[in-house]
Amino acid sequence: MIKFSRVSLIYPHSTTTVIEDLTFEISEGEMVLVMGHTGSGKSSLLRLVNGLVPHHTGGILAGEIIVDGHSTRTSKPGELAGIVGIVGQNPIATFVTDTVEEELAFGLEALNFPNDVMRKRIEEALDQVSLAPLRNREIATLSGGEQQRLAIAAALVMHPKVLVLDEPTSALDPVASEEILAILHRLVHDLSVTVILAEHRLERVIGYVDRILLIEGDGSSAIGTPSEILKKSELVPPIIRLTRALHLDEVGTSTRDVRRITETLRNELPESVRPSHPVGRILISAKDICVSYGAQQALRDVSIDLRAGEVTALMGRNGAGKSSLIKALVGLVEPHSGDISIDGINLLQMKQAERSQRIGYIPQEPGDLLYLTSVKEECAQADKDNRLPNGTSVELLHSMLPSISLESHPRDLSEGERLTLVLALVLSGSPEILILDEPTRGLDYSAKNRLMALLHARARQLDTAILIATHDVEIVAEIADRTIFLADGEKVADGTTLDVLLASPAFAPQVAKVMSPRRWLTVSDVLRSQELAE
Amino acid sequence: MSLHPLTFWSIFTALAFGVVLSDSAISALLAMGGAAWIVYRFRGDGPWRNSFQWSLVAGLYLIVIRAVAGIVIGVPRIGETLFTLPRIHLPSWIPGIRIGGPVTWERLSFSLHEGLIIATVIALFGAANSVTSPRKLLRVMPSRIYQLAVTLTIATSVFPQLIASITRIRQAQYLRSGRRPRISQVAIPLLEESLGRAVALAESMESKGFGLSKVQSRYRPINYSNRDLLFILSGFIAAGALVTL
Repeated sequence: MIKFSRVSLIYPHSTTTVIEDLTFEISEGEMVLVMGHTGSGKSSLLRLVNGLVPHHTGGILAGEIIVDGHSTRTSKPGELAGIVGIVGQNPIATFVTDTVEEELAFGLEALNFPNDVMRKRIEEALDQVSLAPLRNREIATLSGGEQQRLAIAAALVMHPKVLVLDEPTSALDPVASEEILAILHRLVHDLSVTVILAEHRLERVIGYVDRILLIEGDGSSAIGTPSEILKKSELVPPIIRLTRALHLDEVGTSTRDVRRITETLRNELPESVRPSHPVGRILISAKDICVSYGAQQALRDVSIDLRAGEVTALMGRNGAGKSSLIKALVGLVEPHSGDISIDGINLLQMKQAERSQRIGYIPQEPGDLLYLTSVKEECAQADKDNRLPNGTSVELLHSMLPSISLESHPRDLSEGERLTLVLALVLSGSPEILILDEPTRGLDYSAKNRLMALLHARARQLDTAILIATHDVEIVAEIADRTIFLADGEKVADGTTLDVLLASPAFAPQVAKVMSPRRWLTVSDVLRSQELAE
Repeated sequence: MSLHPLTFWSIFTALAFGVVLSDSAISALLAMGGAAWIVYRFRGDGPWRNSFQWSLVAGLYLIVIRAVAGIVIGVPRIGETLFTLPRIHLPSWIPGIRIGGPVTWERLSFSLHEGLIIATVIALFGAANSVTSPRKLLRVMPSRIYQLAVTLTIATSVFPQLIASITRIRQAQYLRSGRRPRISQVAIPLLEESLGRAVALAESMESKGFGLSKVQSRYRPINYSNRDLLFILSGFIAAGALVTL
């Protein structure tokens, strides 16, 4: 179905190749995961499949790409519209119209399909992604998962043979991402659609894919079954880290396989206790806050305390009220009842300058805070803003990420580097409280591990209270001491991470699924028990 | 059961002409009443559905501003004096304009009247938007204009997102420094994001084959019915009645 022969790609004004001498073949009805560090060229590779690269982006392409008998060199992306459907990283930015049905009709109208065919195809696509009840809705009112499903449906109306998806689940909560993957699974198995996707959260997709294409930043690449590739890969999901840490010969990629391999271990290892950290005083306390926008109530009687030295995770489905709670805590929205205080002082009576000094906030798009032309200038500006001696922020940044170049433009940094830069800028003011909104989106495992180590050190050594709102169950399992769960504007769980995560199967981390009913969340939990046994 | 978008637009345009030509407060109020009924009966559920209310509020502001301006500034009008404002003497090289001075009943009612007529025209425009979104109107345009229409649609679709992005970036910057951000501080991340979005949209359209075929089909074309004709006719009769009133 897809054949890459000796493909190399170089973008204009660049001296390094993005992809070098890549050769592989994907046959019909396969589901292939493209894996690699951030910036290794995954997105470029995906867009090579329908010719967006280089027809749309420019660049020099060497070698040959054949998709269903068509060479992308001579066929434009539009001519391949009936063969390759592509779903971008950020679906909302790719929608052309404003209602669900019109969006589905857009591509068909453009190719002059007769009305009766359009009707049939749109019905069919709506059913495939279970969006039929929402057909007349405004796209802007759909949830993240529904938008992702619509983007897939908009590709499916063209009856493509190949479906290409760039990080389809990265913005979604675990439940919504399961729905997306179930749809893809059905397309592959029932309709023999060839699916190619890129995803950083391997734990979510690994059970579904037939093969993995691994591309390294240095131009080398490999393709093979998940267990072949993951045996040697540097980027691995927790389930593989578990089998490696336990020195098991077999590599299983599904919960079922690894449960079978680890059965004896599961029965024999003793119980161990997660190391707990003495928590400090309450730094910020919210009592019975209610927030509503117009008639819609976003938060109902939610109480939350953040303590010095404690990492708290805030979880819940999209639209459960996480953003509203964060906005209330940083003073952006005024709760219409209940109160929030820092050290006994009412938050709303504080000046914003003082609030900013005490609460550090990392927005979902860290780039929102960057507006200067080099890393050095950003750091100097942060020193000036926080009235610190010149060089404080640079020093902090270097301690967090020694490899960063001070001369580079903030926009040229990778996602992980940019996040670290923004963290350094915010932390240079030494806030007592740090609030992060969905920080791990688009980060690969190594960037995520670096972030976790950083936050952990900050909480333990400097007694910062940290709140992370995230969908990433694995990061919660690794670093959160306490987890709060919101559903439909209400707090439904608040307790130790262990208790909260084990209570709900959908939000359980991979290791917990494998080791159930034992009370282990992470690889290190299991290793601790193993040490105890020896 | 809704009507053809063009039906709504022709009714409201006719009414607006009627109000302007008749230049009477009673016809303005009647037209506004008629518009309110149509909005109540045919309002959609899109983001535009409240345009009528918003245009009424805007109209009210306009009447107030016009009245205040009419009281404070203006040429003298002969009539019954209601009250007198202290007069500010302007230099002699600005002749014909007077600030302050006696306010006559005629001067006040003229300002209110003029304000009301303009407010009515705005309200009628708002009402048309409430019952049918501008995008729906674009969909019924002849094919030749359709390409242009799609381009316009895309251009307008960017605005709500742009406003959302500006708010988000401003808030983030405000939380970081505790000060209101400067324009450049917001503009640079915004520009970056808008460019990214524009490229994503263009890629998505190109991947779906947009612009490849000269002829485009139309999904669920909206057709005229006799009911539309009836409504347009009664709209025109009403507008005529307003003028003769």
